[in-house]
Amino acid sequence: MRTEQTSQDRPVLRIAVGLAVLIALAGSPPAAAKESGPDWRPQSSERLVKLPATYLKKSLDRDFAESALGTALQGADEEIGLKGKTLADLKNAINQAEDEVRTELRHQFLAEKKAYLDLMSRKNALQRKHAAIKVRLFDDMLQNLNQDKAGETPAKRDLIKRQDAARTRFESSLASVDMAMFRTGTAPESKYAVKYAENVAAIEQLVARIQNHKMNAGPTVDGEQITKQDYLRQMLAEAQSELAIRDQEDVILGHMAKLVALDAMTLAEETLDSDLAAGEAPNRTAPSQAVQYFMSN
Amino acid sequence: MRKSLIFTLAGLAVTLAAGAATAGTLENMERERALMIEAMLDPSLGPAERQTRFETSQRRLVDLERMVLRDDSLKGRNTPAVRRAYANYDLTFLVHAGLEKKMAPSDLWLEQVGVSTQSLMAAKKGFR
Repeated sequence: MRTEQTSQDRPVLRIAVGLAVLIALAGSPPAAAKESGPDWRPQSSERLVKLPATYLKKSLDRDFAESALGTALQGADEEIGLKGKTLADLKNAINQAEDEVRTELRHQFLAEKKAYLDLMSRKNALQRKHAAIKVRLFDDMLQNLNQDKAGETPAKRDLIKRQDAARTRFESSLASVDMAMFRTGTAPESKYAVKYAENVAAIEQLVARIQNHKMNAGPTVDGEQITKQDYLRQMLAEAQSELAIRDQEDVILGHMAKLVALDAMTLAEETLDSDLAAGEAPNRTAPSQAVQYFMSN
Repeated sequence: MRKSLIFTLAGLAVTLAAGAATAGTLENMERERALMIEAMLDPSLGPAERQTRFETSQRRLVDLERMVLRDDSLKGRNTPAVRRAYANYDLTFLVHAGLEKKMAPSDLWLEQVGVSTQSLMAAKKGFR
């Protein structure tokens, strides 16, 4: 007596359902690419713009690592690592298995590959989001820096020029002015002048240490010092190239998904073929076979 | 915890370094300079008193002028007061410019506003 098999009992049907999902995955953009989900919201604040260039990257990396997006990305990495191990184990098991167990393992292998692709797709979407946020942030920072420069009107530039000239004149005449004051005795050294001289010595020591401090070192490219704008432009270019890489990785994932779908079709076909081969030929009824019943009453 | 404290301190240091500025140096100097010129022009003062007040102002002005010239918060502050102050070094920083030119600040001020012995001698009494 034959019993009806449900779709849950038939791996072939399950594979067919999975296949449909995979095809949909290969054809549509990743779901995590949408704006919802874990986020990272760095702001192009004045403090961030003023950070030393070398410190800026570390500060952003740290901020990202503590954000929901950073945590999600790290979690995705761990999951992918575990899934990779599962795939390796299954592959080894398939090589050693035979007959129905092998078919079942192949089915599991396909299902795990699909799950792996889902995870990779999710991770890719998170990385794309990270890169897109960085692009926006560096763009904003560059705009802020350029606005500072653009805010210099001709009158302001003229004023700064005059102030620089006045400071230079003052510094160059300081010694002779001091000499003249001591000589005439009109203005003996004041408390301010004494304290100022003491503080200048302390400030000079501190400034020397700051200038030699490794965290104060300007950004360099191939050993050449570059400006903060150049450094930001470089980081912007890196973030944009990261976006382009993510696009390329999406294509790779699409091809992988398509391969899994094709493998699933192959497995389904093989299973159907073996089912057909094992079963008897269908007993079809035809009118001619019933003729004998009509030959007498 | 320790890491976040370090980063907070680093941020604070940057903020402090960026925000350290004093205001009012120019205003203080202008006030003192006005007092010195007032003492110079006040007809009610006798020569001794004028000289005393003049010297007191001059001593204060030496420091006040230096404070203004060293005040980074004034750099690029495009206000009428700052623009006017830096428009003429000799007139604004009277004591330093005077000592540099080996002139009394009062003489330098008179010269800068266009009053000289010759111009006074050439002046005529009459209606304008």
